[in-house]
Amino acid sequence: MDKGRVHNRPSLIERLQGFDRRWIFLAMALAVVGPLLRPCNLPFKASPMVKALYNTIDELEEGDVVYLSADLDPPATPELEPFFRAVVLHLKRKNVKIALGSTWYAAPPLIERWIRDVVEPQIARPGEDGYQGAPDRPYRKNEDYVWLGFREGKQAVINKLGSDLWGNYDGRAADGTPLDQIPFMKDKRQLDDFDLVILLSAGSPGAKEFVQQVQTRYNIPMVASVTSVMTTDLTPYYDAGQLLGLAGGMLASAEYEQLVGLPGLGTQGADVLNVGQIVVILAIVFGNVIYFASRRRRRFS
Amino acid sequence: MNLVKKQLPLLIGMAVGVLVLAEFYVPASWLDVTREELLTFAQILAAAAFVLGGVNLIQVNYPKIRRREEDWQYKVVLLAGAAIMFAVGFPWQDIGENPSPGQVTVVDGAAAASGGAALLRVEATRDNALVKVDGGSPQRAVVDGRPLELELQPGAHTIHVYMPAVGYGELRTELEVAAGQTAVARAELPMLWGPSGRVRTWLYNYVFFPCQATMFSLLAFFIASAAFRAFRARNTEAALLLGAAIIVLLGRAPIGRFIYDALPEITNWIIDVPNNAGRRAIMMGAALGGIVTGLRVILGLERSHLGSE
Amino acid sequence: MADAIPFIEILGYWLGIFLTLAILSFLYKDNPFYKFAEHLFIGVSIGYIITQQYYDVLEPKLVDRIGVPAWHVLLVVVLFLVALGCAAVAVRRRSPASVATAAAAVFLLAGAVYSLFQSGNHQELGPLVSSIDWWIGLIPLVLCLMMFAKSVSPRWSWIGRYPLAFVVAFYAALEVNGLVQADLGAQMQRSMADLDREKVNINEATPEELTQLPGITPPVAREIIEQRAEQPLSSIDQIEALPGLTPAQRATIAEERGHLIGLDARAGTEPGQRNWFRIFSEVLLLLGLLASLVYFYFSIEQKGAVGKVSRFGVWILMIGFGASFGYTVQGRLALAIGRAIDVMGKDKDPALAERIQGPLVAGISILIIVVGIALWELKLRRAGRGSAGGPDAA
Repeated sequence: MDKGRVHNRPSLIERLQGFDRRWIFLAMALAVVGPLLRPCNLPFKASPMVKALYNTIDELEEGDVVYLSADLDPPATPELEPFFRAVVLHLKRKNVKIALGSTWYAAPPLIERWIRDVVEPQIARPGEDGYQGAPDRPYRKNEDYVWLGFREGKQAVINKLGSDLWGNYDGRAADGTPLDQIPFMKDKRQLDDFDLVILLSAGSPGAKEFVQQVQTRYNIPMVASVTSVMTTDLTPYYDAGQLLGLAGGMLASAEYEQLVGLPGLGTQGADVLNVGQIVVILAIVFGNVIYFASRRRRRFS
Repeated sequence: MNLVKKQLPLLIGMAVGVLVLAEFYVPASWLDVTREELLTFAQILAAAAFVLGGVNLIQVNYPKIRRREEDWQYKVVLLAGAAIMFAVGFPWQDIGENPSPGQVTVVDGAAAASGGAALLRVEATRDNALVKVDGGSPQRAVVDGRPLELELQPGAHTIHVYMPAVGYGELRTELEVAAGQTAVARAELPMLWGPSGRVRTWLYNYVFFPCQATMFSLLAFFIASAAFRAFRARNTEAALLLGAAIIVLLGRAPIGRFIYDALPEITNWIIDVPNNAGRRAIMMGAALGGIVTGLRVILGLERSHLGSE
Repeated sequence: MADAIPFIEILGYWLGIFLTLAILSFLYKDNPFYKFAEHLFIGVSIGYIITQQYYDVLEPKLVDRIGVPAWHVLLVVVLFLVALGCAAVAVRRRSPASVATAAAAVFLLAGAVYSLFQSGNHQELGPLVSSIDWWIGLIPLVLCLMMFAKSVSPRWSWIGRYPLAFVVAFYAALEVNGLVQADLGAQMQRSMADLDREKVNINEATPEELTQLPGITPPVAREIIEQRAEQPLSSIDQIEALPGLTPAQRATIAEERGHLIGLDARAGTEPGQRNWFRIFSEVLLLLGLLASLVYFYFSIEQKGAVGKVSRFGVWILMIGFGASFGYTVQGRLALAIGRAIDVMGKDKDPALAERIQGPLVAGISILIIVVGIALWELKLRRAGRGSAGGPDAA
């Protein structure tokens, strides 16, 4: 019912409230693409949780064997792939053997691609791309690393890894090689036989389930690199010492890249984060400004 | 009939649940073995559930096409995509004789290189093939239409002949050559089907990956829009939330240090102390709830998951 | 080796870029390009998931365990039943079609029986069936078939209760075990940790304790130990002034100085010095935890003193949620940044990116999609349905 409005034209505040959100989408698109064309290259320092992760891996010795569970799917790659590159470089520099597995069905082709691009070839040469650290060496299939494969079952898989890893993978690697033919896997029958468990998690099942099902039960040394949205779910575990290191999100991956000395997509992405976040913060601020202004108007009208 | 339809499943659930709970606290080898078997059963059922879900989706969409419901053309695309992916996922090369990726033979060749070295000749059936010797840099296996010939020092070497794209057989061997010998690596590199096959990996890389990643990336835009429209500091609590959010946002980006020197440290403290206090409370509270619900399910007090009847 | 990459891969990259932009077109409004990409994705996912689950789980754990001989025999049995059924139908109806089908079924059955005897699988069945392990391996098969019963007929949906009850109870038990130990036990243990926190006394600490301090690496720790053997250090400033340090090490230490959470807060030169800020943080951590738990305890009335404590708990929770939200925004942004990097080719070898011409292909895709949507909207308008509104109207 029309009570006879005093103003027939919508006010600035009302027009701003009915703002077509597709303009915000456009602003976001520009905020994401723009910094890729003109990078800001702001420096950053590694945070304590990421440093703890780095130090834990740094304490590994030559000949140690780690179990790396890559539980992710394509959307998580911008946040976790840079970490994978950096941590594998770190492991290769220390001559540590790597056993890779997964509990997510979308992961195997990704992992196989990463093995081809990061694990098998040499990825860091001093002098190239400004890299100053020690070089890594190419890793040989089933001698320096093994790709065990994917198994479905969520907590059931994780539980089985804790008690019967060979049984979980049916006694063979993903390419069919029997595990007893892989020297460094001979005595690794369950997760606590490994020297460290590294988790790359994008959700459930992931780091949380690993901590719940096996870490506390068998007291397994464990570190995790997770997507941003999962990070605050896991910080209590880090605080309680159940995780020895925690890297959350793209910035943490960038920090790890920095610690290892090979900046890559994480560092590039972290740079772009700046502008995007400013856009979101401005959106919150403006939204609230309009909200409070309209509340005041209503109170006085 | 109620026994078989309703009570017996619950009894089985109770037995399984109690067994798994007990195994955690009671060290007995028969409990252990049973649990290991049950874990395998659970894995199989979980995988079968996915297959069932997929079959279900097809069952739902096929009638929609037949009845020419709205958007039926897109359902055709859906079924076609599923059919193609399914077909290429079958390891066709395993039917009949398994093709080998190739073999390496060492001959005493007259055409060996000079100076006491040995020769490697790579005969690849595909033009794009690459060769890595002893893990070095990859080289083209076919140069100007002719097989690659490399000098090798006498001794043991690893040869890896492969295709730049995933999904082909690879030739990986170790060989020993003495001076004056020629090692001929004949690489067939057959195209593979099935998981890790050529076409399936292509479809994963260029359809599955971009589509799934982009669908999730839509969230970035929606969160910006929600930030403008919905995140109002209506009361103290909301203001606290937004304040903490902004500090963490800035502190966890390179720009934070730029704005205020100690911002990253403040952010880390917020995450370490108040955030953990609240998160821990939620974790413990949720744990209590989860334990109670879990025990109710195991004891058969909670039956809603079995449906009504 | 970018030039070795076959053209079909480049074509694939172009398809990926086009599909990316087709899905992004949803931001304008739901449209045919988006629908096409979405349905293609769902279809491809189904095919992918089914094949992956089969080869990685069902084949090794179920199919191989039951064994080829057993499957062969099972196939013969199933074909026998099918042939029987078709024969019965043919006898009743006597139509040419039903007779032909029956004949085909019998033919298939004969073929299966022949191949069974040919391959010798009928002999291998005996030893297989005699082991109890094989029979145990049948159980999951039976459970799976029970799961599929609902698809055959809704009347049989009660059959699916068995595997469902098993799975739900099983995972509930796993969950309970995990929660008790990791989410409750370990967290309580941590919360009851000593609130009194002392500084690390650099004059008496072990090398491991020293390297835990910010800015103190093993070489720096060695310098400290060397120095304190001669004369104990009397202040933290002296660490920076140690003779054997490189400028880089000095700079790192200087950066880590700080009285709240930096080196000065955590390191001391005498025994018994307290890390006051850490103590404050630990107390706040415990109080915040307790206050939040009071808020969750809905069985008591949230009034008076309890109400005030509960309010403080809510504030702590809000800060936690705010931190989560901050991380969530970052996470969402990262998703979009990943796509942008991929489309613009920033994550690829420059030679490959040159071949792909990402931005150009993206531009062409946008053009195609824009023109396509414009034509589609025109068609809709002519059909009288008008514009369907923004994405919220979907």
